[in-house]
Amino acid sequence: MMKRREFVTASAAAVGSSLLGLEALAETFSRRATAPSDEIHVGVIGVGSRGKSMMRQFLRLPGVKVTALCDVYEPRFGEGREITGEQTPVFRDYRRMLDDARDLDAVIVATPLGYHAEHMVASLQRGLHVYGEKAIGLTVDDCNAIVRAARASGSWFQTGLQYRYAPYYRQAIERIEAGEIGRPTHIYAYWHRNYNWRRPVPDPSLERLINWRLYREYSGGLLAELGSHQIDVANWIFGATPESVIGNGAITFYDDGRETFDNVQTVFTYPNGGTLVFSSLIGNHKVGYQINIYGTGGTVELTLEDGAFYYEPARPNSAVPRELVERGVHTTATLATRGDMPYRGPGLPIELPPEEAGDPSFLASVAFINCIANDQRPFADERVGWRSAVAVALGVEAARRHSRIDFADHVGTSVEG
Amino acid sequence: MGTTVEVYLYAPSSVRAAALLEAAFAEVERVEAALSNYRPTSELSRINAAAATAPVTTDPEVFGLIARALDYSRRSEGAFDITVGPLVKAWGFFDGAGRYPSDDELADARARSGWRQVDLDETTRRVRFLAPGLELDLGAIGKGWALDCAAATLRRNGVRAALLSAGQSTYYAIGAPPHERGWPIHVTDPQDTTRTLSTALLRDQALSTSGTGEQSFELGGQRYSHIVDPRTGQPVAGMAQVTVTAPTATDSDALATAIFVLGPERATELIRGPPAGAALLVMEASGEGRVLALDWPERVARLSR
Repeated sequence: MMKRREFVTASAAAVGSSLLGLEALAETFSRRATAPSDEIHVGVIGVGSRGKSMMRQFLRLPGVKVTALCDVYEPRFGEGREITGEQTPVFRDYRRMLDDARDLDAVIVATPLGYHAEHMVASLQRGLHVYGEKAIGLTVDDCNAIVRAARASGSWFQTGLQYRYAPYYRQAIERIEAGEIGRPTHIYAYWHRNYNWRRPVPDPSLERLINWRLYREYSGGLLAELGSHQIDVANWIFGATPESVIGNGAITFYDDGRETFDNVQTVFTYPNGGTLVFSSLIGNHKVGYQINIYGTGGTVELTLEDGAFYYEPARPNSAVPRELVERGVHTTATLATRGDMPYRGPGLPIELPPEEAGDPSFLASVAFINCIANDQRPFADERVGWRSAVAVALGVEAARRHSRIDFADHVGTSVEG
Repeated sequence: MGTTVEVYLYAPSSVRAAALLEAAFAEVERVEAALSNYRPTSELSRINAAAATAPVTTDPEVFGLIARALDYSRRSEGAFDITVGPLVKAWGFFDGAGRYPSDDELADARARSGWRQVDLDETTRRVRFLAPGLELDLGAIGKGWALDCAAATLRRNGVRAALLSAGQSTYYAIGAPPHERGWPIHVTDPQDTTRTLSTALLRDQALSTSGTGEQSFELGGQRYSHIVDPRTGQPVAGMAQVTVTAPTATDSDALATAIFVLGPERATELIRGPPAGAALLVMEASGEGRVLALDWPERVARLSR
């Protein structure tokens, strides 16, 4: 594990600037002899839906091998091996895997949220690099434990907030930081879907194992599973952790024995005046996934795969802000002067050169391996993970209480610094 | 894919059915996200963008599918070819009705296609293009693969009877409906789609159809299909429709396309496998011999024309 520190290469600078970093990565590996000891060996704890998906991403990287699989549910072994195409060693107990798996360098932790802290801390304590799925922990204590373990460990921690690596998001946020929409003050974010969120369960005894998302012991419900990314985007834009949250939630659509809400509404406030309104429900699909960033001079809409900019219209009886005119920002084809509904139409799409398009999870995987190979702190590190997961945990609490929570009462001296 | 996927299944309750359908569709979405040429973020798009510059590592599933496609190219002597994209574009089939490409356009398209220009390294799972401008298009077998994956998910979850369809041109059947011999799929006459040529009863089997009447076009008095023969660079003439049954939808998709291009003489050998299948060919012709059955197990309607 510690031998990865010898992997520092001259391409570190290139990796920093190149979003893809793949050329650098390939270069790194091709300059070495292709002996097995030069590969990066990755184990997977939790071979469920996300675990399998991340495995596929890692298998698309040169010089990376998935060498161990761990799950408590035996059918996952066959499913995992189908993906690796090999008789990958399998374990039912993650401690055995961490002890026995040969030459492990890194671990993907994609178990149910209630187990994240235990699995991530144990892996970090062994000095392994960890790709820890979002949210990093279920409770504030869990999140603190993970950050402490990451700090004490000699290895790197990257969290599964892959939109930090999505080219559309990066470009949009760069442009927002440059002032293109004035001062961003409010973010209205949604993830609405229309289905019961249940997975097929072969036997009733497996209900809590497979449908863990529906039970509070393991799950933060919709806010954790569907809100983490957008809360992270708000943290990113506002440059801080929230200081308070008001929450509400209910079971409105599926009264089937589940414990987590099927619709949740939260309002987070940030120091320096930002506000995030986040809504998730699974009884209507009209809105889908949307992040709307409202600034005094314009708006950005982000979806899972693209985005667009809109600029506030100049009204005939008010002064046009000077900065807008000087930057030559054009009002888009969306503007029809229709009184209180000035925006109809597509907005100014965020454009990317084709070579920059990429699946965010793939790009996140490339970045993680590059961090290991070049001994660099990940962009979506444990601190980024902490800020999102703590906001989720307190949001969940607020929603359950149908009330307001102040972060200061729960986090004290912020662990993540 | 640009296709509608439909799933019919038998389940003990509607709640269970909903979860099963969701799982099946999630698999289809997953495969689509990996293989679609229309998505710049797909794994296939990533390979297409980079493999001419340097070998691209990919995961076992995608690598295996490309290898399987190249194997079909080998066995069909190039009649099936996932690099045929530039030729299809040259004939204007992507957008609409079709037009004659110039000699230069055709030559250019031929230089940028050809399955032999794809090099695979099995030990490292790397894909390399030996010519610039090559483009892999897994559309021909991607639907089949998506259905095979979705069916596997359903089977793993205990489903014993289901029918999956992609665009009604590719089907996969798990088991049979209760008390039936199989799921009935009507193969219609492309010259008159109200008429059924034969009804296949599918059970743990796939069926794919290549070429349909609406997709043919006329240029210079000759009727052409939208399927280009990768070996000649010309659209296939003379074949109206090919229907194939095979053990998997990936195989039936590949065989239907290959046989459409190969024609009846070479088709027999290919259909015998492995894997073995059956085929029903409908020629652009009239009179006896318009319909040809190759190991086709069901009755074929006699046609008066």
